[in-house]
Amino acid sequence: MRCMLYIVLSLLAAPLCAADELYLYNWNNYISDATVARFEQYCGCRLVQDYYSDNEEMLAKLEAGAAGYDLLVPTGNAVESLIRRGALRALDHAQLPHLGNVKPEYLNTWFDPGNRYSVPYAYTVTLLGYNEEKMRELQLPTDSWALIFEPKYLEKIRGKVTVLNSQRELMGAAMIYLGHSAQDKDPAKWQQAKDLIIRAKPYWATFSNSTYIKDLAIGNIWVAQGYSSDMYRAQQDALDAGRPFHVGFSTPQEGAVIALDNFVLHKSGRRPDLAHKFINFMLDGRNAADISNHIGAGNPNAAAMPYIVPEIAGNEAIFPTPTQMGEMEMLRDFDARSRRVLTRLWTEIKLR
Amino acid sequence: MNRATRLAAWAVSLPPTLFLLLFFLAPSVIMVLASLRYPGEFGGLAALLPLFPADGVETGLTGEAYAFIFSDLTYLEIFGRSFIVAALTTFICILLAYPLAALIARSPKRHRDLMVLLVILPFASNFLVRVYAWIIILGPLNLLYTSSAVLIGMVYVHLPFMVLPLYTNLEKHDPALLEAAQDLGANAWTRFWRITFPLSLPGIYSGSALVFIPVLGMFAIPELLGGTGDILIGNLIKEQFLDNRDWPLGSAVSIMLTLAVLLLAAFTVWAGRTRRRQA
Repeated sequence: MRCMLYIVLSLLAAPLCAADELYLYNWNNYISDATVARFEQYCGCRLVQDYYSDNEEMLAKLEAGAAGYDLLVPTGNAVESLIRRGALRALDHAQLPHLGNVKPEYLNTWFDPGNRYSVPYAYTVTLLGYNEEKMRELQLPTDSWALIFEPKYLEKIRGKVTVLNSQRELMGAAMIYLGHSAQDKDPAKWQQAKDLIIRAKPYWATFSNSTYIKDLAIGNIWVAQGYSSDMYRAQQDALDAGRPFHVGFSTPQEGAVIALDNFVLHKSGRRPDLAHKFINFMLDGRNAADISNHIGAGNPNAAAMPYIVPEIAGNEAIFPTPTQMGEMEMLRDFDARSRRVLTRLWTEIKLR
Repeated sequence: MNRATRLAAWAVSLPPTLFLLLFFLAPSVIMVLASLRYPGEFGGLAALLPLFPADGVETGLTGEAYAFIFSDLTYLEIFGRSFIVAALTTFICILLAYPLAALIARSPKRHRDLMVLLVILPFASNFLVRVYAWIIILGPLNLLYTSSAVLIGMVYVHLPFMVLPLYTNLEKHDPALLEAAQDLGANAWTRFWRITFPLSLPGIYSGSALVFIPVLGMFAIPELLGGTGDILIGNLIKEQFLDNRDWPLGSAVSIMLTLAVLLLAAFTVWAGRTRRRQA
């Protein structure tokens, strides 16, 4: 009975003792356990994480009143939304001496000039992942969006292809393949992209935002549109399971969408001091390298490069060459009216 | 009724009435209002009054979301398709659940509780885990990512909701009725069709309501098991709130769904009444 009482008392006391807690609202699988453990030891605090699987989900939860998060990891367009909404706390650059480690081309971006609110953490490219052996056997090109849009290639892999269940990403890929910008809002060009997608759709298995990782690694699916870090995971899963095939991924030559994810401080956070400490810790080269080494994401941190294993640092699908980088686009938010037009196209695509 | 009993009746019915007012009527009213607003720039709703005008964001009230839905047949087609899927699911559930419920109802009393427990046992594990299990089962059968997979998933998830009301109904049937019919020369089929089935109609109705309505709003199953063409109203609503951040459009579609279901319920009640009057 006394023992019971102790347990109850300690449970009640726990929130009081653990005053040094930092709340991070992060993408699934976007920081390695080793990094978390090292930070907790360094700061003598506890890092509490919640997860989301896309920016919209995170924005919707914050919009609905979720609070208490010190740090978020939004993509560029979501950073812009959050800034304009007045939801972020300005950074104190004096507390971030390692900020200079970030490569200059990732600083001072359109979504946050002067980096008053955001510090770039990692980036992923939306590209094509594929079963290397099958592609060689069927002699299919893996360096072009044509692989998921052209019936002459698709008929060899009917039912073995998935594309993202995201109107922006899929329309973006179609627009880029047609030679337009993913950012273009011209309804005539959208119509072209829609026609392209509807022509290719009968050959696709499904729209998938997450199951493609498992499907590629198992061999159910041979080609998938998806994010570079997810493709890296599918590749590693297939290797670990000793599958008789390899998962490869590469950036189409026509260009692609790149997503730069950033640390920002949410206004509802209670520990901006710890949050700054965390960001500065993550900017240190050795710590910053973890996201590439363990998760397979691209890294905007120059000081991290010496610590990144050569197979990953040399992988052009994870670290694009400067030429490829020139072809990349970041998605920017559309206004409400364009979003409504786009959603109708998207519904029609699903229905046909 | 004297005053005391009337007072007691009020006291008993007050909590559920309040519950419905608070958790059904109030959200519905909020939804109607939301559907008449303009979408906010970052999700949510645009301001009602133009106090802090932002570029390209309209304020005030509008019927645009409804005009948008009815401006062509795309959205109505999705409604039609969802009703077909819901009706098919309900029908298959009746076919599968009836024999099972009858079996349980006719089993010795000491076995019944165990059998009912087995029917509801799947609820012990998480809904999504069970759907993911179907991905593993359907993959090798070449059924994954098809409309059949959606139907299988829907029937699987909702079957217990049909079995339980049917069982509760069938259990109450008086066996003497069937014996009397047999003595009067009715064969097995006639006994079922003329006695058991009509008596079990209330069970079928409540089971159908419990299956049909949730299926209409379901979005996880088409998303996980369906192919490139399997979009239902549930997916449409979810997309508007999460992916597209167009709350007014999402609300408008939700209200249309609620209205459709209410109309259907009203029609069923009306049909039941006329039938009873004819009988």
